[in-house]
Amino acid sequence: MRHFPGNWIQAREIPLHIRDTHPCEVFGVSISQTGLASTAEAASEPAKPPPRRRLHLAGNALWLTVPALLLLLGVVGYPLLTIVLRSFSEPMWGLQNYVWFFGTPVNLVVLQRTFEVSAWVTLACVICAYPYAYMMTAVGPLLRMLLVLCVLVPFWVSGVVRTMAWVILLQDSGVINSALRWAGFGTVRLIRTQQGVVIGMTQVLLPFMILPLYSVMRGIDLRLVQAARSLGARPSRAFLQVYLPLSLPGVYAGAIIVFILALGFYITPALLGGPRSTMLSTLVQNQVLSLLNWGRGGAMGVVLLVATFILLALAAPLMRQRHRQGARR
Amino acid sequence: MLYSRKEFGRSRLVALLGMLAVSMPLATATIAAAQDKPVAGEVKEGSLKGKTLTFVSFGGIYQDGQIAALQEFIDRSGVRLLSDGPTEMAKLQAQVESGNVTWDVVDTADFAPYVHCGKLFQKLDLSKLDTSHIPPGQVGECNVPAMNYGMIIMYNTEKYKDNPPKDWKDFFDTEKFPGVRAIDGSGDPIAGLIEQAFIAAGGDASKMTAADIDKGIAKIRELGPDTIFWKTGAESQQLAEAGEADLIMMWTGRAMTAARNGAKYTPVWKDWLVVMDHLAIPVGARDPDASYALINAYLGRKSQEILTEKTSYSPIHNEAQPKVDETTAAYLTSTPERIRQGYQHNIPFWVQHYAPTVEKWTELMAGN
Amino acid sequence: MQIHTRIVLGLVCMLVAVWLVAPTLVVIPMSFNENKSLAFPPVGFSWQWYENFLTNPEWSSSFFNSLKVASLVAVVATVLGTLAAFGLDRMRNVTTSGFLRMLLITPMVVPGVVLAIGIYAVYLDTRLVGTLTGFVLAHTILAIPFVLIAVSASLEVFDKRLETAAASCGAGRLTAFRTVTLPLILPGILSGLLFAFVTSFDEIIVALFISNPYLKTLPVQIFTSITRDADPTVAAVGTILFLATSFIIAGGLLLGNRQRKG
Repeated sequence: MRHFPGNWIQAREIPLHIRDTHPCEVFGVSISQTGLASTAEAASEPAKPPPRRRLHLAGNALWLTVPALLLLLGVVGYPLLTIVLRSFSEPMWGLQNYVWFFGTPVNLVVLQRTFEVSAWVTLACVICAYPYAYMMTAVGPLLRMLLVLCVLVPFWVSGVVRTMAWVILLQDSGVINSALRWAGFGTVRLIRTQQGVVIGMTQVLLPFMILPLYSVMRGIDLRLVQAARSLGARPSRAFLQVYLPLSLPGVYAGAIIVFILALGFYITPALLGGPRSTMLSTLVQNQVLSLLNWGRGGAMGVVLLVATFILLALAAPLMRQRHRQGARR
Repeated sequence: MLYSRKEFGRSRLVALLGMLAVSMPLATATIAAAQDKPVAGEVKEGSLKGKTLTFVSFGGIYQDGQIAALQEFIDRSGVRLLSDGPTEMAKLQAQVESGNVTWDVVDTADFAPYVHCGKLFQKLDLSKLDTSHIPPGQVGECNVPAMNYGMIIMYNTEKYKDNPPKDWKDFFDTEKFPGVRAIDGSGDPIAGLIEQAFIAAGGDASKMTAADIDKGIAKIRELGPDTIFWKTGAESQQLAEAGEADLIMMWTGRAMTAARNGAKYTPVWKDWLVVMDHLAIPVGARDPDASYALINAYLGRKSQEILTEKTSYSPIHNEAQPKVDETTAAYLTSTPERIRQGYQHNIPFWVQHYAPTVEKWTELMAGN
Repeated sequence: MQIHTRIVLGLVCMLVAVWLVAPTLVVIPMSFNENKSLAFPPVGFSWQWYENFLTNPEWSSSFFNSLKVASLVAVVATVLGTLAAFGLDRMRNVTTSGFLRMLLITPMVVPGVVLAIGIYAVYLDTRLVGTLTGFVLAHTILAIPFVLIAVSASLEVFDKRLETAAASCGAGRLTAFRTVTLPLILPGILSGLLFAFVTSFDEIIVALFISNPYLKTLPVQIFTSITRDADPTVAAVGTILFLATSFIIAGGLLLGNRQRKG
């Protein structure tokens, strides 16, 4: 049992707010719905929650959601509709803005780059978050508190300030390059490059990967891994065939939210990137704020919006299926 | 015009007095007229109490200097001055079109007030301003100058030790002078740079045609993918202080600040690009008279001296005698020597070809 | 796990932790810079940027604007979000409630700039640019998803038989809610409130579009300051925010610990 500390069960508590704001929720999949709550967790709860839908005291509860829905309609629905309309109607009715968008090589390059950067950021997040989240489940409460703190600290400082800090870190005379030069490596160009943007964005988005991963991992029943080991599986095989598949829902959930957030990123690429690392959001902003071209800006926005929703639509069934499998386990 | 009877009576009285005045010595009349006429730099005590003005400019030491130059105006008039920026035409256009203009006085780059005169900027009533001390040829229909300055090449002193670049030809020669270039990508096309690029490509800028704009821009594009287009003066300063580009095109004020902060760069003065900023009042500004009062105070001799002392940008008052230290003096563009070295682009040509140039320039900025 | 696997794992974690924390910490030395510059390393030592933050009306007014907007948003979003969470929880039709939940959460996934230009377009027409109402409306809709998620999570584990019990003891619907439900789901509501506050306080993209000289929030002031000027005041603000949050969280942790022990 050496590799799985004995205090594993007691050590499951995490600050409430992390649990409460699980980003998986975005896709209508709550943590408890991921079906991966371990037997240990179930055992620690005195009674199973009662059936969710009750018939009395409720009446038709629809009206309770009305205020929020009205606000949503006014501040999200109507503005988005305006943008869609303008993309077809300015300067005149027709598809000209979309023809322009898909007919201009610059835009396609930027569109492709936006997806590319988002993919890199997602990959980097998975690679960094996986061992980190695992470590969070495997260490004692004090060390875990420290690890949780490190995830949350970035949230304590305004996002804009953090991006400025990245400028300080990444510039040629910055902290990273000073360290590299001191170690005798010479200068690496980081700022105003795609790599720089990826480094900065990954840091900003990492918590969105770590937290869902952690919440899934802490629910994995490690006895299954032990069982595999005792049946003669090598550690690597036990990991690949038992642990990894069980943790995949967390990876999917985190990856999809990171990817989607990355697609719409604006501040970080604007401040850390150069003209050759422009992302779609910056182009949208440029069209609207600098050129006041609502039609073209709107068309770009619609492309970004549609891409986001297509991704969501593709990812949702994948995730649903995943957690159903988990539940069947 | 509609006059009430009482006012009509009064105006008749005024007319009568006026007739009397004609017979009086001429000197008295001159004094009376002078009292109505604005004097640059002066404002009536407490005249703008309770009012708020928004002054929009490009930030950094420039806007700090402008605010410092306006401090006496703020104190005397009692106005509350807000600052905003950077100046962006689209933002102004959005305000004008939605009929909700929050900018009162706008500091703009070279072309904007000529291109947008009458549409985004009001035609100025020059009787409300004292323009008598402004250097000749700088007042437009919608604008007065805000200051004169230059765009220069700053080169990395350590990199080009014995063989430094001497002019724009060298700036465009990536073989003889390898290194990263940084160019002003803050918004408007830099006409002077396009002309210099065209010259470096073997053209004659004095006979430039619309088709030649492409040639100039192509030459800039040839500088390669490493070229940095900085978006703000702050960024250019950061580039120099962090040593991230070897040849940086900079505004003189920012160059001076970077040098003051220890950047190891040397200016190239041959053919420095002569540029100026303007002050203009947006169409639909909330209180144009207050805007005029601000501009008039700004044009005063003392304000202009303060502006130069703080920024190194050249005053637009012909009697201003700013007291500057050595570093600032080195970046002044108003000395006889500098005036001789400057390069002036063809303003009417660029105003005429503004729209297509903007489109091409934007494409260049987008990295392609 | 082999010993070298553990070492590698530990090292990776340390690197990630440093990566997460470094940008926050690097701001602190920059805030004492003597030069008006963001070049590293900072030169000398001075308090002038803190002084500037406290005395310059642009900084202080934007700070108070943010405080005002975020407080209003926290209250409005918490009320609307909690109501909606209850409504969805009580809804009989699971498909409808699932669909509505998804709708209410969309502001989280709509790309910021797209939403921002939409809101900007509508606000230009309705003259809401640079108004308190405009800010509160826009930020509330961005904060509601967080409240909804937090409150829904508490409702999910809340044993509804307790409410039934209260009702069977003769409590009215409101009394049951006030005396039984509310205290039990309060942690969820409070964390929703906190997140709503932070969401608004830190929001930049929409704010960039809808602020004007008369109403500017702190993130916008920070952003314009960064883009217009290499001004270490930004670092001072970052440090102040960092310390303030640290104290609040440390206080909360201490309090929580004492309660648990007591």
